[in-house]
Amino acid sequence: MPISVNQSLRLRTPWQITRAVWYAMFMREALARTTADRFAWFWMLAEPIALVAVMVYIRAFIRGGRHITGADFVPWMIIGLLGFFLFRENLQRSLGAIEANKGLFAYRQVIPVDPVLIRCFLEGVLKSFILLIYIAVCELIGIQLMPANPLIALYHWWALWCLGIGAALTLSAVSELVPDVKHVVRIAMLPLLIISGVIFPLNYLPYWLQEYLLWNPIVHGLEGLRLSFFDGYRSLDGANITYLWFWALSMMALGLMLHIRFLHRLKAQ
Amino acid sequence: MISLSNVYKRYLGHHGSDWVLRDINLDIPGNVSVGLVGRNGAGKSTLLRLIGGMDTPTKGEVRRDCRVSWPIGLAGGFQGSMSGRQNVKFVGRIHQGDQGLDEIIRRVETFAEIGKAFDKPVKTYSSGMRARVAFGMSLAFEFDVYLSDEATAVGDQIFRRKAIKAFKERVGRSSLIIVSHAENIIKELCQAGIWLNEGGAQWYDDVNDALSDYHEYSSLNQEAGQ
Repeated sequence: MPISVNQSLRLRTPWQITRAVWYAMFMREALARTTADRFAWFWMLAEPIALVAVMVYIRAFIRGGRHITGADFVPWMIIGLLGFFLFRENLQRSLGAIEANKGLFAYRQVIPVDPVLIRCFLEGVLKSFILLIYIAVCELIGIQLMPANPLIALYHWWALWCLGIGAALTLSAVSELVPDVKHVVRIAMLPLLIISGVIFPLNYLPYWLQEYLLWNPIVHGLEGLRLSFFDGYRSLDGANITYLWFWALSMMALGLMLHIRFLHRLKAQ
Repeated sequence: MISLSNVYKRYLGHHGSDWVLRDINLDIPGNVSVGLVGRNGAGKSTLLRLIGGMDTPTKGEVRRDCRVSWPIGLAGGFQGSMSGRQNVKFVGRIHQGDQGLDEIIRRVETFAEIGKAFDKPVKTYSSGMRARVAFGMSLAFEFDVYLSDEATAVGDQIFRRKAIKAFKERVGRSSLIIVSHAENIIKELCQAGIWLNEGGAQWYDDVNDALSDYHEYSSLNQEAGQ
């Protein structure tokens, strides 16, 4: 057996390898996103900002249901949309992550859960950045968007992020095994946006309906986020962040188990 | 040393599936270069993928106690919008982190000889240029065993000769496992051979025996067909 020149390849622990892969993939994803075309970096920030602006404008135009106890309508909706997009983008970006990185599984170090986690991380960082931009700009033009309880707000933002990561881990594995799931998830996103109370307050709905809508963990995250942003905001009865954590952690565990159980099928070309 | 014990492989599809490889038992010594021969569809590439760990056997076990490369010349992992240099950086980081990264990049750059194009997006490359970078990338890392799946068949004459020369320089330090239909290349680079036939694998200490058995069998088959 020849003595190899470069022993460092062999001496690495699994954790070192994983960290090297994550670092490399993060740089790659970030670079690929920013160099896709000339204005890629611009659209990365401008697209979600513009999307929220358009939604707010449309909703303001339609009017109705504008009275929200304890919060102004526009900031109330911006927070809802940003929170929802945090969840949605984590999920949707991850759905294609395994497929897009199939070529990399030829390197034994890379496993299917890596691109999913990296995309979630990148997406979360970008969305957090956008939230900060929104807060800064709104403050400058005189819309009150400074969180009343910044730490609590951070906690709820983090919770929604984790919910997105959980959903991403689970559904990225499921959608590789059963490709039809991808379509169902995409279709489900718009109804989910409406029943999550993003664009109109669920308080207006009859109580019996609210009870059902509270099955949806996103509602709990968004209401918690709004409570921490607006002092004196009148939230939905029964909103409870622990319920969201129950979902987030269960889905993370389930997703990781799926990724371990079906590792070879997810890797297969 | 790479050892395969009771390895079975099949690909599941909608139309049933036959075993591609059946009960393969092989011990491939670390310092011997091996040529894989067999007709199309005999499972040469599948066996190579199993050895490289890109795929897992349906049954059985593959053990590697040396560093095995990915198939040389593999370009599937390239990200089109990133430059050749950035792609090399990525693979380097996966394999050994940031240390020695510059050395790896320099080696690939000198081997590939594609000039300024090294800093252009990979999607602007011709297939030959891609092959040069991909090939250089495999050689930039020190592996004990290099896997090659028809890799020497790409590129122009000069590059092909350069590739074979690069392989020959590695003999002694590292070994090769090659899938190729170009028999002169196999004869030139390999000592031992494996003949894949009807799901089974036969080991030969001399690659010429493997080739002659393979030829005999295929000419017999041809006659039987006529």
